[in-house]
Amino acid sequence: MATVQLDAITKRYGTTTAVDDVSLDIADGELVTLLGPSGCGKTTTLRMVAGLVEPTAGRIHFDQQDVTYLPPRARNIGFVFQTPALFPHLSVADNIGFGLSVKHERKDAIHARVEEMLALVGLAGYGARLPAQLSGGQQQRVALARVLATDPRVLLFDEPLSALDRNLRDQLKYGILDLQRRTRKTAIYVTHDQSEAFAISDRIVVMNAGRVEQIGTQTDIYLHPRTPFVAEFIGATNGFRGTVTGRHGEGDAARLLVTSDGLELRCRNDPSIAVGASVVAYVRPEDVQVLIDGEAAFDNVIEGAIDRVIFEGPTAQVRVDIGGREFRADVSGGERITLGESKGRIRLGFDDMTLVPIDESGPATIDAV
Amino acid sequence: MSEASVPVHADVAARTKPRPAPRPRRFTPRRVTAILSHAYIWFCLAVFVLPFFALLAQSLGSRGGSAGIANFGDALGSFGDNLFWSFKITGAVLVLDLVVCLPAAYAIVRYPVPGKRLLFSLLQLPLYVPGAVIGLSLLFTYTFAYRIESTLGLILALAVGSFPLMLTPLVVAMKDLPIVFEEAAVCLGATGWQTYRKIVFPLIGPGVSAGLLLCFIIVFNEYLVTLFVHPPSLETAPLRVFNLVRTNGLAPTTAALAVVMQGISFIAVLAFFRIFGTRHLKGTYIL
Repeated sequence: MATVQLDAITKRYGTTTAVDDVSLDIADGELVTLLGPSGCGKTTTLRMVAGLVEPTAGRIHFDQQDVTYLPPRARNIGFVFQTPALFPHLSVADNIGFGLSVKHERKDAIHARVEEMLALVGLAGYGARLPAQLSGGQQQRVALARVLATDPRVLLFDEPLSALDRNLRDQLKYGILDLQRRTRKTAIYVTHDQSEAFAISDRIVVMNAGRVEQIGTQTDIYLHPRTPFVAEFIGATNGFRGTVTGRHGEGDAARLLVTSDGLELRCRNDPSIAVGASVVAYVRPEDVQVLIDGEAAFDNVIEGAIDRVIFEGPTAQVRVDIGGREFRADVSGGERITLGESKGRIRLGFDDMTLVPIDESGPATIDAV
Repeated sequence: MSEASVPVHADVAARTKPRPAPRPRRFTPRRVTAILSHAYIWFCLAVFVLPFFALLAQSLGSRGGSAGIANFGDALGSFGDNLFWSFKITGAVLVLDLVVCLPAAYAIVRYPVPGKRLLFSLLQLPLYVPGAVIGLSLLFTYTFAYRIESTLGLILALAVGSFPLMLTPLVVAMKDLPIVFEEAAVCLGATGWQTYRKIVFPLIGPGVSAGLLLCFIIVFNEYLVTLFVHPPSLETAPLRVFNLVRTNGLAPTTAALAVVMQGISFIAVLAFFRIFGTRHLKGTYIL
């Protein structure tokens, strides 16, 4: 077990900056996920932690020990790659025992450890097989057993489930979480899959263009996005670009008033946003209610024409044209039928506390770690 | 079954009775193409294999019949030394080629060498240059610094001429080997040497075996470079064949030695295919 600290690490390839000034503290036994789109620098960050890529600037510490320029073999890490990367010419048992054999452990000790690891990942009796004789999911479990066999200080996962089908992915992600909890290893997990990140993480680091956009728990990231990128990348959302025209009320009752394309909107208060600032106010589709007969009073009510209704099983997406801008509301199956029949214009309502303003002009606010 | 229903069923049966399949045409375009393809393959085979049978016939020649087999006894007896030298020299060249080319292939593929393509093309040069030119250039270049007409000189000269045949399959095999295996090994605590010995070398086995086969066949049968740089006391089997043909024409015992050499090369290729299969020739452009 170990703590991991990244201190302003940067990686440049020529004039391209792949990772830009990333700092992160990971507690002992914590599972932190680096989440972001392709090319955002999450894998490069992970490879720098592993020692496979040398940072251009910054320091990396494991338990206060500076490991920035240590080779991977001296860091005592366990790296699970996107592909299982099992050595095809070695048996499953030899793959799992590889890390111990290169450290010249005794053969009986290696054998015992291999059996223990096989049992841990639910593959007891598979030791004599070659990797090609296993399914994709089994191979990834062997890869996990292989890294755990060396008792690493830190576990690193580079999109380990991306090559698997959806069912297997769902099954294995909880398997990984379970193993990480049982072994209490500090872990960094890289993925672009939000559901994977939300399912297994203690904390999530959202990255974009080589920088950290926000660090927080699932609820922090989803309910309190701090940058337009986080709001738009995590889940579906509707954004209103506008200007803060005033602040209404005080304390917990305070609200921001925002004008966007002629719409007067009341938003959740953010003391750091000044009157006159340019903001984007976001509301999630599931927080939007369809007002059929003038029902219920909402803080914000907008009107538009139904563009299309997309059936998605338990819910349906209603795409509404509001002054040339597409707006999405997620409704239940019953409402969908009503809407599908009615067509025409529709009124939508949402509470001011569900409308989150994010300052566009100021620097991105990042949670202190 | 009622009588009334009979005509109905008979009618259905008449309607559904399958027509006899039309007789296939004997010479469809596809069939003609297949016949021509086979004929072409057999023609090529005859062109390449006939000289071998002609040589075999010559080797069984003047004594005639079963007594012609004695030519092979003579060949193995009086030319035994030459064959032995050929094996020794070839073995040494293969080891030297492998020792030089394994790290070279690794460096070419895994490290950002400036002008890598140009460098790789230059390294292929011995393949495009006639053996006589290689022999002459080696003599001109190194004879002042080292007595190249020696056993070691011959081994080095043959290695210079044959190493691209080892390097190319190794480079292809290294390129085909995903780097993730090496990364996985070092992350598990392996040193660079352990990674190479336990992971890289076994996984580039196809390239190694293909390189060994190609080098063996070329070096074992090489006489032109040997002609320039061999020491007076050393005569390899192909050089002996060349010298004998030049002085005495193709005598049956000389032909027998040539047949033995062809047989050895043929057995090497057969053994290779038997042990490794054709997939191990992936990336080689010679075979």
